[in-house]
Amino acid sequence: METGSIYALAALGIIIIYRTSYTTNFAQGAVAMFNTFVVTFLFNKFGLPLWLAVIGGILSAILMGFLIDVLILRHTKNVSPVAKQIITLGLIMIVLGLAPIFFGVDPLRLPRLIESGDLSLLGASISYNGLFNIALGLAIMLLMFYILQKTKWGLAIRTTASNEYVARLMGVPTKNVTMAAWGVAGVLGVIAGVMTAPMTSVTLNLMDEVQITALVACVLGGFQTFHGPVIGAYIMGIVRNLLLFYVSSVWGGQILYILILVFIVFRPYGLIGKKIVKKV
Amino acid sequence: MTKEKNILKKYPILGLILFGAVLALVPPLAEAGVLKNGYITTIGGTLIYAIAALGLNILLGWSGLISLGTAGFMGLASYISAYLTIDLELPFEAAFILAVLIPTLLGILVGLVSLKIEGLYLAIATLAVSEVLRKTFEELVPFTGGFSGKSADYPTLLGVFELDRTTTYYFIVAILVIVMILTYNMMNGKLGRALNAMRGSEAAAQAMGVNLLTHRLIAFALATVFASIAGVLYVHFIKFSYPSTWILKLSLDFLAIIIIGGLRSIYGTVLGAFIVFAVPDLFLKQIPYFENLSYVLNGLLIIVVIIFYPNGLVGIGYDIKKFFRKLRKGGKKDE
Repeated sequence: METGSIYALAALGIIIIYRTSYTTNFAQGAVAMFNTFVVTFLFNKFGLPLWLAVIGGILSAILMGFLIDVLILRHTKNVSPVAKQIITLGLIMIVLGLAPIFFGVDPLRLPRLIESGDLSLLGASISYNGLFNIALGLAIMLLMFYILQKTKWGLAIRTTASNEYVARLMGVPTKNVTMAAWGVAGVLGVIAGVMTAPMTSVTLNLMDEVQITALVACVLGGFQTFHGPVIGAYIMGIVRNLLLFYVSSVWGGQILYILILVFIVFRPYGLIGKKIVKKV
Repeated sequence: MTKEKNILKKYPILGLILFGAVLALVPPLAEAGVLKNGYITTIGGTLIYAIAALGLNILLGWSGLISLGTAGFMGLASYISAYLTIDLELPFEAAFILAVLIPTLLGILVGLVSLKIEGLYLAIATLAVSEVLRKTFEELVPFTGGFSGKSADYPTLLGVFELDRTTTYYFIVAILVIVMILTYNMMNGKLGRALNAMRGSEAAAQAMGVNLLTHRLIAFALATVFASIAGVLYVHFIKFSYPSTWILKLSLDFLAIIIIGGLRSIYGTVLGAFIVFAVPDLFLKQIPYFENLSYVLNGLLIIVVIIFYPNGLVGIGYDIKKFFRKLRKGGKKDE
């Protein structure tokens, strides 16, 4: 469940950008990595308390999301979808190149949000931090869905997602919506990053696996809805841990990917997705 | 001048061979001291990457199918070739054929999957395949040597000619030229037209009698064949293969190559490979602080090229000429 939460946060970030900017954001993981570095840096070098450092990371994530949208994505209205995806690949390169310049190449350590304590649950032990991550993940999910479904902002995002042109005609500030979506995606990314960081060390490829799993989760859940990828991410998190625990600690990951590939062949548009009819 | 151009236009293959001859000048120049000796390795590596990128260009440029799995297939071929030549002591030719055949079968399998899924679903599916392969490289220690990697020797052709670094470089140039000629002929023939039609509109292509199944499989097979050839050459030229080489970053580099160089352009692919791999190594590393920035630069270049130059840098010469002609015309009007 804990890893599921991380995957779900990352997947939600990807899907929000996909729905508003019509591009798969391959750079989601890289941007999250960068901002996790910001958090770690604030924590280690300036001695800020962790919660303050996390807020700093969130601010930098929002800023970075805005910058990406204003400087780059806004100028790509006439670019084909594949080219847009490749632009986000270019973003990965920029972020990966900049990170060592700012933060050095040494791996850094980031402690857990809640340092110690274990809870025994149905024979399996789980740390308070893990529980906190699960709870936080679920809370953020619920909050996001509440905003998407019930508020004016959510309505604006949903209209932009379904038809940007008409949304603009109706007076929805689509530019701000896209910008906000990039900001929100950045925040979701950095939270997922801070959750991942204590499990390993903070390095350049901190988020690689999370990123790939989140993308696959989006495929599993289907790109057409907001909740599909989140469900897909939780399924992947749980199945992955079960496979690693019961089947093989070495091959579990690969088996999961292969299972999902087979699944995609039979349900090409995901669990919930619908087929998009292409017109000639 | 114009006469020469006409000859090149009439026999484009001659141009490709000439191009190969120019590339083959690198080792003598290095021996003469004009170029640094280390350049042979860098440029040879770049040409290897260009071969794999040509395969991806067939897939993405001509047939419009995106793949993020190039690095995985290239790595698989390199490991197979290293394993067969070093551990089983098979001759280089046999290893070459097997190392191209096995990944290609896998590539065709992915091609079968591609019939079902589209666009970004396909990109992510190939990404997952590549990821499975990479993890396998890490874990399957008896076959791949795990994290410590696998080494191989320079190839021995026909069991007699033992190549060294310079002759292997010539070998790579020869293979690159052959691959370029093959690509040129295929893409300007019936197959190229069929793939083009498929990219434009699948329904229309089908109506014109293009079999989607066979052509998608052919596109994927060609892309994997080229990637595998590149993988085999890589392991026998650089002599090492680590799991950390065959990551997503490398697949992204291939994408960068064909985007920067130009979709559906053979020379553009080689140009892109030089910009992405050789320029950072040869020039930017001489300038302090630029080592890390080269990566940033590539990323920026991709974005700028896509926004302002959707046809790739290979068209830039033509555009500059047009610009000057315009200037001259404008100047004349003023007079």
